[in-house]
Amino acid sequence: MARAYHTGVTTRALALASVVFLAACTNGGGTGKAASGAHQLRLAMVTDTGGLGDKSFNDSAYRGLQMAKSKFDAEIAVQESKSAADYQPNLTVLADGDYDEIFAIGFLMNNDLTEVAKNYPDKHFAIIDAVNPQPNVASVTFREQDGSFLAGALAAMVTKTKTIGFLGGIDSPLLRKFEVGYAAGAREIDPNVKVVVKYVGSFEDVASGKELADVMYGGGADIVYIAAGKSGLGAIDEMRARPNAYAIGVDSNQDALVPGKILTSMVKHVDVAVFKIASEVHAGKYPSGSVQLGLKEDGVGLTDFAYTKALIGAAHIARLAALREAIVAGKIVPPSTRDELAAFTPVKL
Amino acid sequence: MAELLDFFQLALVKATPLIFAALAGVICERSGILNIALEGGLTVGAFTGAAVSFETGNPLLGLIAGMLAGALLCGLLGVAATRFGVDQIVAGIGLNMLAAGATAFAVVVLFGAPGATPEVHALGSAGETALIAVAVVAALALQLGFDRTPWGLRLRACGENPQAVLSAGLDPRRIRVLATLAGGAIAGLGGVFLSLGELDLYSDGMTAGRGFIALAAVIFGRWTPLGAAGAALAFGALSALQFVLQRSGVPSELMQALPYLAALAALTGIVGKARAPAADGVSL
Repeated sequence: MARAYHTGVTTRALALASVVFLAACTNGGGTGKAASGAHQLRLAMVTDTGGLGDKSFNDSAYRGLQMAKSKFDAEIAVQESKSAADYQPNLTVLADGDYDEIFAIGFLMNNDLTEVAKNYPDKHFAIIDAVNPQPNVASVTFREQDGSFLAGALAAMVTKTKTIGFLGGIDSPLLRKFEVGYAAGAREIDPNVKVVVKYVGSFEDVASGKELADVMYGGGADIVYIAAGKSGLGAIDEMRARPNAYAIGVDSNQDALVPGKILTSMVKHVDVAVFKIASEVHAGKYPSGSVQLGLKEDGVGLTDFAYTKALIGAAHIARLAALREAIVAGKIVPPSTRDELAAFTPVKL
Repeated sequence: MAELLDFFQLALVKATPLIFAALAGVICERSGILNIALEGGLTVGAFTGAAVSFETGNPLLGLIAGMLAGALLCGLLGVAATRFGVDQIVAGIGLNMLAAGATAFAVVVLFGAPGATPEVHALGSAGETALIAVAVVAALALQLGFDRTPWGLRLRACGENPQAVLSAGLDPRRIRVLATLAGGAIAGLGGVFLSLGELDLYSDGMTAGRGFIALAAVIFGRWTPLGAAGAALAFGALSALQFVLQRSGVPSELMQALPYLAALAALTGIVGKARAPAADGVSL
């Protein structure tokens, strides 16, 4: 019953909204109510299943909202997803609310977002890590392979055992961008370094993350790049207890979690992207279309080695800077799929 | 050789929470309570253990509190099913949701940040090893208790023919509630193994479906303590194998589905006969 009612309303809303939308377009577009100074900016986000507290991806998006809260006095709301079945209800609840922009955090909810964006053509959405063609959705993706390339290069420079690891959350095209970028960076420095790749199969199974880290460090890897959401917390736990074991963090700056043992973090500036969209909405412009943020746009990058400068050494850090320049200049194009990785040959600066 | 030893160690670690949860499932089901709230029992055990250890600085108090929390949650199922005639599956689903929601909420309230507790004092690797031993001993002890003690007989009778228990002058409803309390405490201990044995924190969703794999282990183990513990051990070994063999050709998703396929095979009689207790899941 509720569903039938809902569809009826949305069909009418769709017809109405398309008229309004066309009118808005001829007007030069995007004079939403956010433009008026008196209106309080209202922003909301739907987390992925990792949820808040992952000290990683979702937390980064949340920081973006908090920045908008303090800068624009925005009202913010968060809907956490416990499973993939929560995406659509969460998005719908927010679309029913009075929000200026709704952020879908994570590629897994792209299909659900398409549905909701179609049902609510007068609402504005943004998705992180996926490209959504709906006109009322802004898409932000990152060139994770760029930053991961630098992480892999660093690991290959620092490793003593000539074996390094990659621990991912769920094997997917997105996580493979981290994986293959990392492997290519290691190959760039030393083709003889062995890269062990494992996936937890979950972003929240902390115990399995720890066990897999045990397998990898126990198998001879001395540096593991951990891109596994909350599962990664278990892997970091395992690393902390082992002498001569190091990790590379991901998404947020995780360097301070175990000072001196997390070489760096491959930061994905989800917070900056979220804040940027919020700023545009605040200025009365609803972004649409898609942008891809790499090293060049400062969308991804390594941290400043706050605790590990001495360990890594100035020569290695200078070499990383040179590699970064080469990627920004387009001289090195890090691979983003396993096929591209197979074809990747080191440039040898 | 060292690698083989590492593998067995990993398999044991993977199996231990499954063994605890499966034993809890056997106790409940043999008494006639189909306890699908094992996942919730693990969750509240893991959370309460970490939270109490954080507040008191004493992981042993955390362990006891975790067992109590598991007993409380599963005891609710026992009471609902025996005093209020609630459908056991519905109540179990509700309790799983309650456990997930209440722990997530409590993390925010107690620790000010969502998702995970800070690091707490844990039992350490000695404690972890001790709990693995406890799991194995508990399986043996329960099997003996089931086969050789009047308590075991009464429990089993409750799951097969509660009317007969009643005519013998005993209250089957009381026995069932006691069974869910005992089972819940054991499931809670499985959760404590995760948060304070293997790790030193609680994180939302960390049980990751282990309670449901334990249900499969109960079926594959034919509702006996040793059988269920053996099945849990096999499933633990399977996921350890999955960890080691990843990306060597066998899809890891398939290996993750194997416990359920095994339970299905047991139920359909492909690998011998599996029969649930006659009054399993029948509310009184």
